[in-house]
Amino acid sequence: MNMMKNLSVNRDATWHLDQPYNARHLLFAIIVFVILAVTGSRMEVPRMVQETAQGLGYAVGLNDESSVATGVKRIAESIWPLRISEEIEVSRIEDFDRNDLPWFSHVEVIESRTPHLNTETLQLEETIERKEMLVKPVGYLAHVLLKMLETLEMALWGTLLAVALSIPLACFAAANYAPNRFIYNLARSTISLFRAIPELVSALFLVLAFGFGPIAGFLALGIHSAGFLGKFYAEDIENADRGPQEALQSIGAGQIKTLWYGVLPQVLPQYIAYTLYILDRNIRMATVIGIVGAGGIGLELKGRFDMFNFDHVGTILVIIFLTVIILDQFSARLRSRLM
Amino acid sequence: MLRFENVYKRFPDGTEALRNISLHVPKGQFCVLLGPSGAGKSTLLRMLNGLSSPTEGSVHLAGEQITERSVQRLRKRVATVHQQFNLTPRMSVALNVLSGALPQVAHWRAAIGLFPPELREKACRLLDEVGLTPEHVNRRVSELSGGQQQRVGIARAFMMDPAVLLADEPVASLDPRISRGILELLHRQSRNHDTTVLCSLHQPELAREFGDRIIAVNQGRLVFDGTPEQLTDKVCEELYHGALNREQDLPEAALPVCETELELAAA
Repeated sequence: MNMMKNLSVNRDATWHLDQPYNARHLLFAIIVFVILAVTGSRMEVPRMVQETAQGLGYAVGLNDESSVATGVKRIAESIWPLRISEEIEVSRIEDFDRNDLPWFSHVEVIESRTPHLNTETLQLEETIERKEMLVKPVGYLAHVLLKMLETLEMALWGTLLAVALSIPLACFAAANYAPNRFIYNLARSTISLFRAIPELVSALFLVLAFGFGPIAGFLALGIHSAGFLGKFYAEDIENADRGPQEALQSIGAGQIKTLWYGVLPQVLPQYIAYTLYILDRNIRMATVIGIVGAGGIGLELKGRFDMFNFDHVGTILVIIFLTVIILDQFSARLRSRLM
Repeated sequence: MLRFENVYKRFPDGTEALRNISLHVPKGQFCVLLGPSGAGKSTLLRMLNGLSSPTEGSVHLAGEQITERSVQRLRKRVATVHQQFNLTPRMSVALNVLSGALPQVAHWRAAIGLFPPELREKACRLLDEVGLTPEHVNRRVSELSGGQQQRVGIARAFMMDPAVLLADEPVASLDPRISRGILELLHRQSRNHDTTVLCSLHQPELAREFGDRIIAVNQGRLVFDGTPEQLTDKVCEELYHGALNREQDLPEAALPVCETELELAAA
């Protein structure tokens, strides 16, 4: 009898599965749609879509005209061929010594003909101008590579500065090693502040202080990446296995020695991986930071771009791409070996 | 050598880890601490190396009370062997053993890893005593087996010539065959170096074999204090199955208060 009752209770209870969506989901979808509609029109997304479509149509031969395609084509035409050589007019070089030319260079005579109308004879005449040029066949490429080297050096010194700044900061910003609450908060907020200033902004001001050149560049890189490294280092110190640290604390080794022997060996591989990542990132940032005048290849890029020397710009871009790709591969391999 | 006087320990979450512990361990004794997990054995040991402090009562080491001010100095006379070995992974066996002498080493020497020659010799001697061979010295500790790691831990513990050695379940993460070897080593080393040992275990048969004296705790209370002979199977059974949880049920064999007081009077 009892069993029967139980069964009937089960049969009466109706199963009810909620629909996966309810009014709140709908409201959320409407809000997202409104935000996208408003911001999309402000960002001129429709024009972007239209012009891109026109450009693609032009590329496959559907359209006759496209402003985007014309622009891209013009840049592509002016970039190609890339500028590899460097030619300087001999008359412009001070103390030019014909018997002592720079390496891999030779002197060429270039004739340029300018047609003009002789007003007396009413004939088209050509004046021939001869210029002696010093030609360095890979001169500009070498110049760009040197600038790239300077960029790498900026990244290296920026990273070194970041490591030097962030190691003491990280020790104070790790809750289990900070001497007191005030210093902990001070270190934490310094790290956040460093991270909050973008390199390009701090470089703008540092250029005012230190003048054009790499000093402003690597200082800006170092300060910004110290904000990242400090955070990463501090979190690793906090998350390190407590066992070895307790073992050293319990014999009275003191904070610094405990950090050195109980924590550092544990976190070193991660530290190296982070530092390599920051170096990788700094190299990419160092290429553009020169745009505000802080040295490196960016300064050259900005100068050439402003003078509409797009063939030079092309060479610079190719060198930047190649460097970043090579270093990316290199650091990825190094990191995977360490972890 | 070691003295607990009416020690209570309450954790912030309200659990009472130790309740009214009074205990005296004379110099040179190999004292085994028995009890089920969570009985308060570790807390008791951590009070002696300053990783924990009593809520009430006092802990004395060699006649001096362990306080916030004296802990850093007194710690140097206490060494600990840990259940999880607590060696620094990725660091070599040699540096792990040498790190046991860090309080004696100048900061600049510690920073660049240049330990004085006498400490290096001592480390080699200790590694030899604990049964490791010269080819282990430069290996990373993480490459060694559990038993070998605990041997490194014991070598590290003796670097400072400790007056007191605390062993917190030194064999709990090792298999039984190796456990005996490690305890034999611990026993022999403490005899040779005249060290007082407080060693927590949870195998009564090992406790009977190696202890000069056996103390049992359960639920934060001292429930047995006696010689290995007094630790009969019946006492063990009661210890691990709850009969000794209540103070009023203390069997005749266990007279913790009397014996501790006698020893205190003698000392």
